[in-house]
Amino acid sequence: MPIKWVLHWQPNAGTTASGQIVNEVTQCVEGMNGVKDGRWKATLTFYKPMLRDQALLVEFPRDFLGISLPEQPNKYYFIIRGQRLVLEADSTILTIMDKLQSYKSRVSLNFEGFQYQLGDFQLRVGKVSPTHSETLRGIVMEVEYLPISSMEKSRQMMEDFLEIWQDAVSKRSLPGHFMHIEPNFADFGLGDQYTSQHTAVQYAIVVAQVIATVQAGQAVRN
Amino acid sequence: MECVVQGIIETQHVEALEILLQGLCGVHRERLRIHEICLKSGPNLGIVSSEVRLLCDIEQPEPTWTVRHVGGSMRGAGAEQISVLIRTVVESKASKNVLRLFYALGYKLDHELLKVGFAFHFHRGAQITVTVSSVNKMLKLHATDDAVPVTPGIQLVEVTAPATSENYTEVVAAVSSFCEYLAPLLHLSKPGISTGVVPTAAAAAASLMSDGGGTTL
Repeated sequence: MPIKWVLHWQPNAGTTASGQIVNEVTQCVEGMNGVKDGRWKATLTFYKPMLRDQALLVEFPRDFLGISLPEQPNKYYFIIRGQRLVLEADSTILTIMDKLQSYKSRVSLNFEGFQYQLGDFQLRVGKVSPTHSETLRGIVMEVEYLPISSMEKSRQMMEDFLEIWQDAVSKRSLPGHFMHIEPNFADFGLGDQYTSQHTAVQYAIVVAQVIATVQAGQAVRN
Repeated sequence: MECVVQGIIETQHVEALEILLQGLCGVHRERLRIHEICLKSGPNLGIVSSEVRLLCDIEQPEPTWTVRHVGGSMRGAGAEQISVLIRTVVESKASKNVLRLFYALGYKLDHELLKVGFAFHFHRGAQITVTVSSVNKMLKLHATDDAVPVTPGIQLVEVTAPATSENYTEVVAAVSSFCEYLAPLLHLSKPGISTGVVPTAAAAAASLMSDGGGTTL
């Protein structure tokens, strides 16, 4: 499948992500002749163990999360970031987890917005917000390069594209920038050929950044 | 949901059973080699203890993994009157690190088995699967090449069919009527209610072996 980079909005110190920034970013994509191509949505859920004795919480993974991706609607992904573990399963795994009654959802975040076609690239800009809430917690952008599925072979092309992109965004003097953190996929047992498991790992990294940014913002305000 | 019945047969009559099944189903058998890992939740995990099975199909060139959860069976006077067990089963295919994930989540190995045999998949009033397998245990952890039969000389026969709450009566009827064809060789009943081998098996097997399944039993 085509390779993809998932980026997150890194606000400047003292600022936060806002709907206004999403609008400006969207205008930027449209200004580059991006053609709107429908909506997209991914959902990420943090799980916590159901314990008879809460004192034992430390014995269980704190960073166990699951994600559903629009590119694979019949699959579900589990990640334990600390253990460099990613699993792909049929979405019926959710019914199994529900029946096991050993883990339950702690909090879920939606990533949703519009997707755009830009030549050989597909862009998705999305707001990050808790389910059942409109509160914006962050902004993500997926950049997918449709002709290539090798991480290495596409690297130059992706870097060139991002350079043009950052140039276009910088003209709007927004209070922050999009940042790309490439996980060490090999640690997760993933190879050079891109799969949806790569996407799931990137989301796990991005969500950690979004949470860290929100927490840093709250610390500054307090 | 699935409908299920089980029975046992002596290994010496398995070839006859295969001829009979081949004749009845009109499809070829598939070889079966499943490494089944049963996991239980650790002592403190979950409001109640839970159990999940990981099935690794090692017959495939690249082994495939399935997570399987078997839930409670249908109860009540109606369910007791029928000879087929109806239970909830949920399966999910998963990538190869699924055992590592469940260990990380706090599940522990309870036991593991290796089922070796064959299966027939066909449609006969319902989508029926018949598996005939020798159940083996491992002498060392995960050592599937070093497995020994749990019950030497005896193989397990399982007939299953997927069902829903709307159609289970028809599926039960289809499974029951199919089981009658196998009756001379083995008796099938709800799991856990073993009825042993049938006395007519030797004669029925001899008859099948002599004419290649042409005789109507």
